[in-house]
This record gives sequence, structure tokens and C-alpha cells, in this order.
Amino acid sequence: MIYRRICAALLPLMLSACASDPVPNEQLRLTEQALSQAKALGMAAEQSASLRLAEEKLVLAQAAMADEDYKQARVHAEQAELDARLAEAEHLTGKSQQQLAELSNAINRLRKQLGGLQ
Amino acid sequence: MKPIPLSLLGLAAAVLLAGCASSHNSSDQALQAAHTAFQQVKEDADVLRSAPKDLIRAGESLAKADRLSSYWGSADDVSHYAYLSQQYSAIAKQKSALNLNQERAVKLELERQRLQLALREAKLLSVQDQSNWLEEQMVSLATIQSERGLVMTLGDVLFDAGHSDLKASANRTVLKLVQFLQLNPRRVVRIEGYTDSRGDAQENLELSRARAQAVADVLVDLGIDAKRIEVQGHGESFPVTENASAKGRAQNRRVEIVFSDEQGNLGSSR
Repeated sequence: MIYRRICAALLPLMLSACASDPVPNEQLRLTEQALSQAKALGMAAEQSASLRLAEEKLVLAQAAMADEDYKQARVHAEQAELDARLAEAEHLTGKSQQQLAELSNAINRLRKQLGGLQ
Repeated sequence: MKPIPLSLLGLAAAVLLAGCASSHNSSDQALQAAHTAFQQVKEDADVLRSAPKDLIRAGESLAKADRLSSYWGSADDVSHYAYLSQQYSAIAKQKSALNLNQERAVKLELERQRLQLALREAKLLSVQDQSNWLEEQMVSLATIQSERGLVMTLGDVLFDAGHSDLKASANRTVLKLVQFLQLNPRRVVRIEGYTDSRGDAQENLELSRARAQAVADVLVDLGIDAKRIEVQGHGESFPVTENASAKGRAQNRRVEIVFSDEQGNLGSSR
């Protein structure tokens, strides 16, 4: 009889764990926003592993939403958001690196010309 | 209803724990990786300065993962928060690199502008050098006549006899003249034509003027403002030598270019 009681006590506890997960609408919005922000920079998923991850996880999150598995949806969406933000940061850093290289080139050319004149 | 046998419960627990054990391993690894990543960025002053918020979130997520790792059956959550922490650390690192790059770009941009300015000045100097050189050349072509200033003589060989068209052999001299006038924009010139004493004096006067005008026309064609050029014909007057010999007459047939000083003051005409 005692097992039955334990089970009866455990069952709602376990179910409540699932049921208490709120619908992560806000997180999905944030994730989609982060992704479109990264894409607005002209990035393509082929060039960025992080962006590819973000897109894949957003698809997983949307599928989990459809299954009403809100916990998985939230987990995938949270990870996808950070993947997208990382992709954006990587892109910007790469761009600035490129800019530095161009500036160095320009400076070298100027130095050479100046050297030629002196 | 029959109570669930104890053995069955035990079996279920064993299965659950086994499942946990394998995911526990991977969550341990994720946690370790997140710790390593956070360790790297949290002591970096540049990261702290550039991305304090991301650094704080990396720390918070990591603390959450640490806390969950002591709970039974939360391996997936541990992995999740460890992953978030690791990503926050990576983002912070990127932002710091971006910030450093941008600061360096500002410095390089200043350096570039400084060099551009230096180059422009150096080029200007070399043009002035060239202009000085050219002036020396023009002076060597010309002679100083104290009362008239700097005078350059284009000899008889630059024109065909009786014609006022400038020959192609005059091009080099004329081009030098143009260059000199372009580099000395305030100088003006008076172009004076002369002939020998043979033939009709009136015709000679006209021919001398036409020859002087021909030189002026070429200068204008090459971009010198006509206002800077004065033209005069003197005919047989003011010979430089006797008209008795062919050699003397050839010397008297000439076009003279009188230069003003650098302020544009011309000596008075004859």
C-alpha cells in the first residue's frame, strides 16, 4: 500500500515539472531577432558555423513548440540566440580585422612613396 | 489493486541512473569546458572593459550549471547552462577583440592621414624644386638686360624666311616657356618681333608683328591666359648687330620674350 502512495505522490510531481514550463514565446522572439540581426549584416550560413547552428536550433525549437514540449523549445531557442549573437560578433571582428589589414596596406604604400621622394 | 513489486521499482531506478551516468559524463565535460572558457576571459582586462555584461552572464550561467550539477537527474540542464556560459564567454572574447581592433584602426587612420599630408607636402616640394630648376633653365636660355629685365631670344631658325608660322623645331622651347609660365602664374610676358633691314620697312614691321603674334598664339593654345601676353612688332628697329653680313642679318631676325618679375611687373616697352 505504501508504494501506491509513493507513486501517487510522485506522479503529480513529475507531471508538474513538465506542466510548469511556461510557453517560451518571448525567448523565441528574442532568438528570431538575434538571427535576423546577424543576417542583416549580409552573413550567410555557409560562411559561419555559429550561424548555421543558430538556424538549426531555431528549427528544433519551433518543432518543440509545435509538440508543446516547451522546455525543449526554450533550451533550443536560448542556445540558438547565443549562437546567433556569437555569429554576429565573429562577423564584426572579422570585418574589423580586414579593415586593419587595409589600413596597414595603405600606410605601407604611403611609406614607400614617401621613401621614393626623399 | 496489487502493489508494484519492489524489484520492479529497483529496476526502473537502475535504468534511470544508468541513463544519467552517460549524460552525466558529457555534462561534466561541458561544465569543464565552460569553466576553462570563463577562466580565460574573466581575468582579461580588455574583455572586462569591452563586454562586462556578457562576462557577467557567462559567470551567472556557469554558477547555475555548477549548482545544478549537484542535483540528481539534471545533467541536461547542466549541459545547457554550461553551453550558454561558454557561448557568453566566446561572445565576450569576440567583442573584446573587436574593440581592440577598432581602437587600433583609429590610431592607424590618424597615422595614414599624417602620412598623406607628409606625402602631399613632399610632392609640393618636389614641384617647387622642379620649378626652380626650370627657372634656372629659362634664365640660362635668356639673357639679362638691365633696363628690360629677363629677355629670352627665339632665333631666326624657328621661322621660315618671309613666313610667320612657327616651325616644329620651336616646340621644345615653347613648351618650356609654357611650363615656366604655368609654374609662375603671376609672371606676364611681352613678345617682341624684329626683322633685318632688307625689304620694305612697312612689310618688315608687319612680318615682325605677325611672328610675335604666332608665338603668342601657340602659348594661348597651350593654356596660357591671353591677358598675360603682350605682343609688339618692331620691324627693322633695334638691331642687335650690323645688317651688312648674312650672319648679322640672321641675328637681327628674332623674336624676343621679355619676362616680368615675379609680381607681374614688366619693364616699359621700347
